[in-house]
Amino acid sequence: MFRRTVMPLLLLLVLLVSLAACGGAAPAPQTNEPETEAPAEAEATEAPAEEEAPAEEEAAPTEEAPAEEAAPTEEAPAEAEATEAPVEEETAEEAPSAEAGGGTLVIAIAEDTVSYDPGRAYETTPAIVHKATYDTLVTFPAGGVETIEPLLAEEWEISEDGTVYTFTLREEATFSNGDPVTAEDVVFSFNRMKNIQGNPSFLAETIESVEAEDEQTVVLTLSQPDPALLAKLVFSAFAVVNQEEVEAQGGTAGEDASTEDAAEEWLNSNSAGSGPYVLESWEPGVETVLVRNENYWGEAPAIERVVIQNIPEAATQKIQLEAGDIDLAMDLSADQVASLSGAEVYQSLSDTIFFLLMNQDEEIGGPMSDPLVQRAVRLALDYEGIVALTGGEAVTPASVIPVGFAGAYGPEQAMERNVEEAQALLAEAGYDDGLDVELEYPDFTFGGVNFSTLAQKVQADLAEAGINVTLAPTELQVALENYRQGLEPFGLWLWLPDYRDPLDYVEFLPEGVVGERANWMDDNADETILQLRDDLQVEQDEAAREEMYAQMQDYLQEQGPYAVLLQPGVQIGLSPRVQNFAYNPQWRVDVAQLSLAE
Amino acid sequence: MNIFFYVVRRVLLTIPLLIGITLMAFIISHAVPADPITANLGQRAMSDERIVAAFRAEWGLDRPAHEQYLIYVQNLLRGDLGRSIKSRRPVMEDLKAYLPATIELANTAILTGIAAGLFFGVISAVRRNSWVDHLVRVLSLLGVSVPVFWFALVMLYLFYARLGWFPGPGRLDVGLTPPPQVTGLLTVDAVLARDWVVFRNAVGHLMLPAFVLGSFATGLIARVTRSAMLEVLGQDYIRTAHAKGLRLRGVVLRHALRNALIPIVTVIGFSYGGLLAGTVLIENIFAWPGIGQYAYRASTSLDFPAIMGVSLLIALIFILTNLVVDLLYFVLDPRLRS
Repeated sequence: MFRRTVMPLLLLLVLLVSLAACGGAAPAPQTNEPETEAPAEAEATEAPAEEEAPAEEEAAPTEEAPAEEAAPTEEAPAEAEATEAPVEEETAEEAPSAEAGGGTLVIAIAEDTVSYDPGRAYETTPAIVHKATYDTLVTFPAGGVETIEPLLAEEWEISEDGTVYTFTLREEATFSNGDPVTAEDVVFSFNRMKNIQGNPSFLAETIESVEAEDEQTVVLTLSQPDPALLAKLVFSAFAVVNQEEVEAQGGTAGEDASTEDAAEEWLNSNSAGSGPYVLESWEPGVETVLVRNENYWGEAPAIERVVIQNIPEAATQKIQLEAGDIDLAMDLSADQVASLSGAEVYQSLSDTIFFLLMNQDEEIGGPMSDPLVQRAVRLALDYEGIVALTGGEAVTPASVIPVGFAGAYGPEQAMERNVEEAQALLAEAGYDDGLDVELEYPDFTFGGVNFSTLAQKVQADLAEAGINVTLAPTELQVALENYRQGLEPFGLWLWLPDYRDPLDYVEFLPEGVVGERANWMDDNADETILQLRDDLQVEQDEAAREEMYAQMQDYLQEQGPYAVLLQPGVQIGLSPRVQNFAYNPQWRVDVAQLSLAE
Repeated sequence: MNIFFYVVRRVLLTIPLLIGITLMAFIISHAVPADPITANLGQRAMSDERIVAAFRAEWGLDRPAHEQYLIYVQNLLRGDLGRSIKSRRPVMEDLKAYLPATIELANTAILTGIAAGLFFGVISAVRRNSWVDHLVRVLSLLGVSVPVFWFALVMLYLFYARLGWFPGPGRLDVGLTPPPQVTGLLTVDAVLARDWVVFRNAVGHLMLPAFVLGSFATGLIARVTRSAMLEVLGQDYIRTAHAKGLRLRGVVLRHALRNALIPIVTVIGFSYGGLLAGTVLIENIFAWPGIGQYAYRASTSLDFPAIMGVSLLIALIFILTNLVVDLLYFVLDPRLRS
C-alpha cells in the first residue's frame, strides 16, 4: 500500500532530478537566438522593395522646423532629404550597421496595460510603448512639457480665432511596413479614437472635424478655441496609425466605431505606426517586446530590442536591479532608492498632486464647507514636514497646477504654515472649541506615497489647530465611488494630468470634473472664479494665459475647497550601462533615445 | 463498486456546490459599495454620462442584479464564463493562459513540501528529543509562522541577488523563447520539445518560489508527521516488530509510517488549498504570471466575470483535492473499504 502512494511520488522526483541532470549532458543545446533573429532579418530584406514608393516623391525644401527637434538625432533625414530622393534607403541601411546588435534593454514595471490600441489605451505602460512604436503630429522636448515641437507635422498654422489648425506633414515619414504617412491616415486615426468612445476620447471633445486637404495637409476644425489642443495632440491617443493596416484588421473610424471596431485584438500584439520600434509581442501580465523598426524614417535607435517585464512588486524590481538583470526599474519609492546599491538613480519631479477636498455643499461638508474653515485647513498644514516625509524630489506646489507646467507658480510661492492664524479663523467661524471631521481616503500607495501615512500627518497637523480628524481609510474602488458622486465631506485624493497643459486644472474649478466632486457649482461659486474659468477655456494668448493662471492660483490659495499637500518626486532606478536617460512625464521613457554602454 | 458509487455521488454533489459558490461570489462581489465604472473608466470618461451608459450596457450592468446572475448561470451551464471586463477576453481563455503557471508552481511546491515534510517528520519522530528533532521542530515552526511576503523577499535577496545561486523572478530568463505550448507547464513543454536549455532555466526559476510557497506546507506536514509517527511508534505492534528483529528502516517505513498516513494525507490536502491562496502574494513578488496575479487584478478592478471565474476554478480545485484525499482514505485504511 505504501508503495502505491508514495512510490510514484518518489519516482516523479527522481525523474525530475535526472532530467535536470540530463540537461547539462545534452549535446549542442538549441539556443533561442536564431529563432528570435529570424523575423528581424525577414523584415530587413523586405524593406527596400516597399520603400520605393515614398522615395520617388520629390521632396520639397524643408523649413527649419524639423532641425529643432531632438537635436542630436536629427541630421540625417531632414537635411539629406532636401537634396536627394533615396534617403529612406540610407536610413534603412544604417539601422543594422549603426550599432551591430545594439543589445536588449530590460524595463521592469508594474504593468497596467489594458490595451495597446492607441485609440483605447489610457495607462502608463502603454505610454512608453506608444512613444516607441507610434508618432504623433507634435511632441514635447525630451525632458519637459513646456514647449511644443514638430514630429510628423513639420509645421502648422492656427487661424486668427483659434478654431482652425492646419498641419503640414513631413514627406519622408513612413509606417513600419513602408507605406507613407499621409493626411488620410491622420484623419482616420483621429476619428477612430474619437468614435471608439473609450477613456481617451474626451481629448477630442473640442475637435469638430478632421479633414485631409491634400496628401500632406490636415485641417482640424474646432467647435471652440482650445488653448490646450497642441498639448493634447502629444498624447498617444492621437498617434497616427496606418489606415490600410488597421482597416484590414477590422478597424473602423465610423460613427459606430465604439461597437464595430474590431482591430483592438490585433493592435494588442502588433503595431501599425511610424515610430522607431515595432511591437513584436505582448503576453499580458508577463512581458511586452519591442524590436527596432527597420523601416524607420528617422535615425535608427541604438538599442535593438526592448523587453518590458511585468514586475508588480517594487521591492522585487529593486532586487533585480541590484542583481544586474534589469536596466530600468520604474516603480521604486523614494525610500527604496535611498538604500539602492550598484545602480544609479534618476530623480525628477512627478506631475501628480495630492490634495484635500472639502465639500462645498453644507449638507455634506458640514463645517468643511465654510470658507473660513477651508482656509484654516490650508494654513494649519505643515507643508515642509509633508515634503520631508515623502523624500526624494518632492515639493509643495503653490496650488493645483503642478510645478513644471506652463504658468505654474514655483514651490517658493507655496502656502506657508501659520497655526495661530488658522486658530483665529476657526474661532471666527464659531469653532472655538475645535471641530470634528472624518477624512476619507483610498487605502493604497501611489508612486511610493502611501495615503495612510499622508492622512496621519494631516491628522496630526490639523489637531494642532483644533480640528480633530478621524481617519476613514477605504478600499480604493469604494472610496472612488463616493468621491465620484461628490459624497465625501473631507477627502484625500490625487490628480494626474490627462494632458500636459494647465487647462487640465480648470477641472478643479466650479462644475469641472473635480469641482463637481466638491459640489463646487455655478450657483455656490463667486463671479470672479466663474469668469476666470470661462476665459481660461478659450484664451489663446500666452501672456494673457499666464496672467490668468496666476490669478487662478492666487484665488485658490485664499478660497476654494482644496488644500494641495504635495507633488512627489519620481525615481527611476538605472543600471550603470544605460546612457542618455531623460524623463518626460508624458511618456516617461523614450527608449529610442537610450543606448547601452558595453 | 462501493467506491465507484461513492465517487459518482461526490461528483454529482459538486454541481449544486459550484452553483452555490457562484451565488456566494456574485453576492459578495456585488455587495461591495463600489462600481466597476470607477475601476475601469478614467477620471474623465467616468464623468461622461454617454460613455458610462455605453459601458453599463456593454457589460450588462444596467440590468437588475438578479437578472445579471441568471444570465451568468445560464451562460455558465453552456460552459461560457463570460468576458473579462479588464482584459476584454473570454474568462475561459484568461484562465487557460494563467492557470498552468500556477499549477506548475503549486505542484512543485506541494511535492517539495511532501518530500521534505515527510522526511523531516519521520526523522524527528524516530530520533525523538535528539538535536535533529529540536532543529526540525524549530524549522517547521518557522515554516508555519514566518510571513510569506517577508520570507520571499529575503530568499530572493539572498539566493538570487547576493549569492546568485538561482535565477530571478519570472518563469524564464529574458531572451529565452518558451517552448511551443502543449500543456502550458514550461518544464513539461520543454521536455516535449527537447529544449534542455529552457528546461534547466525553467526548473531554476521554479526553485525559489516553490520553496517559499512550499515552506508552509513543509512545516505543517513535518509537524503532523512527527506527532502521528510518535503516536504509532508507541504502539504494541511496533514493539513486536522490533522484537521480531526487523531492521529499523523496515519498521519505520512499512509498519509505522503506513499507519500514520491518514492524518498526514488530510493535512496534505489541506495545505494544497492553503498553497493556492498563498500564490497571490508569491506570484506578485516573483512576478509569476499565474492565477494569483490574475485574481488580484480582477478583484481590485471589480471585474465580476473574472472574479466569478477564478472563484469557481479555485473552488473546483478544492473540491477535487478533497475528493482525492477522501479516496486516499479508502486506499490507506482497509477497514473503510468493507
